[in-house]
Amino acid sequence: MPIFLMMYIRSYNRHKKNHILEKENMRREFESEMLQTRIEVQEKTMQTIATELHDNVGQLLSLTTLTLNSVNLNNSEKAAQKIENSLSLVNKSIKELRELAKLLHGEQIVETGIGNAIQQEINWLEKTGTFELSVSNQLFDLKETSPDKDLIILRLLQEIINNIIKHANATIISLNFYHDNHILHLSVKENGVGFNYERIKAKKSGMGLNSISKRIEMINGKLILNSAPNNGTNILIEIPYP
Amino acid sequence: MLLFNPIVCIELTCLAVAVVFLIKDKTLFWRLALCYQILVFTVELAGSYMGGLGIHNLWLYNIFIFFEASFIFYGIHHCLKIYTKQKTALIFGLILTCIIYFSSFIIRGFLVYNSITISVMSVIFVIFTLYYYYLLLKDSSFIDIRTNPEFWWIAGVLFYYFGSTISNIFYDVLTINIFGHMSLTYLIFVILCFILYGLWTYSYICRAKQRKLQS
Repeated sequence: MPIFLMMYIRSYNRHKKNHILEKENMRREFESEMLQTRIEVQEKTMQTIATELHDNVGQLLSLTTLTLNSVNLNNSEKAAQKIENSLSLVNKSIKELRELAKLLHGEQIVETGIGNAIQQEINWLEKTGTFELSVSNQLFDLKETSPDKDLIILRLLQEIINNIIKHANATIISLNFYHDNHILHLSVKENGVGFNYERIKAKKSGMGLNSISKRIEMINGKLILNSAPNNGTNILIEIPYP
Repeated sequence: MLLFNPIVCIELTCLAVAVVFLIKDKTLFWRLALCYQILVFTVELAGSYMGGLGIHNLWLYNIFIFFEASFIFYGIHHCLKIYTKQKTALIFGLILTCIIYFSSFIIRGFLVYNSITISVMSVIFVIFTLYYYYLLLKDSSFIDIRTNPEFWWIAGVLFYYFGSTISNIFYDVLTINIFGHMSLTYLIFVILCFILYGLWTYSYICRAKQRKLQS
């Protein structure tokens, strides 16, 4: 009897060891994925800032310089008009810079709540003026938080929006976010070119879809993706939250 | 007169290993283990010597039972405290053993071997060792069994006292002579001693390794 007991303990202990090591590996993988997500969010923020500085603030300040250069002090009425225009351009630049400063906070966006972070993303998307947006964001008053999940969710949304901008050729985007019964629902629907999801999934290539699936799986979420060529794409994500 | 019988030899080997590996150990339990090995060897040697001369030696073993029970109870407490702070059952077991030990002397006298105490404490020790393994299995963390001194120390106790209990139960059946004058019960006892001190020897080596790693 003691011999069998020893053998059983040995076998059970080995299983326990494997289980603990497996858990540890999963934890490490999660941490590494979190780090990767954090870096990607920061990169995305930096890209947005660089684009905004170049395309928006840069242009406004150039225009200000041009306007100020063309001021003729002999014609005081026109000069006053031009100075006023320049002032307006500088104010607009300051406003834009303030918006960019907010973005520079990076993760702090998530700290203000996932609703705000998502809204920030939508605001930037809206500013491009390329899409007709229909937005329903009911996550502002969310009492519960989960900082790690928030960061992943934000990155998921960034990736999805990035895909739409780059590949979808969509004109209308419908975004719907709500929390119900401890599940956070994210729905993104667009009328773009669509694609064959099954084929892309099988190929394990392209459009960051694998990274999206992997991250959703990591936080025990569910991804439902409906798409067909020339028929737009409908993405529904359900994540246990918090 | 055969002074160095197999049991004395086994105990001497175990004592030698204990001296080498536990002499520098500062933990109370392992220090006591070394002292206990010295006591075991001395008692066994004296008992053997007295037996060889035909002097009554059961009183010596009767006294030794007290030290044996005390040490094993303390050892089990030392191993169990890793997993539980509960001492009530252990104290109850110790009190029960003491009551039986002393009442047996009163009833049967000092010169009769205190076999009832041995039987009762053997069962108690088996129960506690099984409880130790139950706690070990239940614990969320895992230990490296191969190098865990407490695990092997308890294993020695389990094998020895489980074997003793079974041997006591089937005493009548097992008292047959094999190899001339050597009885089967004696052979079983030698084997059990070999297992007990073999496992304890290994646990002392593991303890020395553990101490080295911790320092």
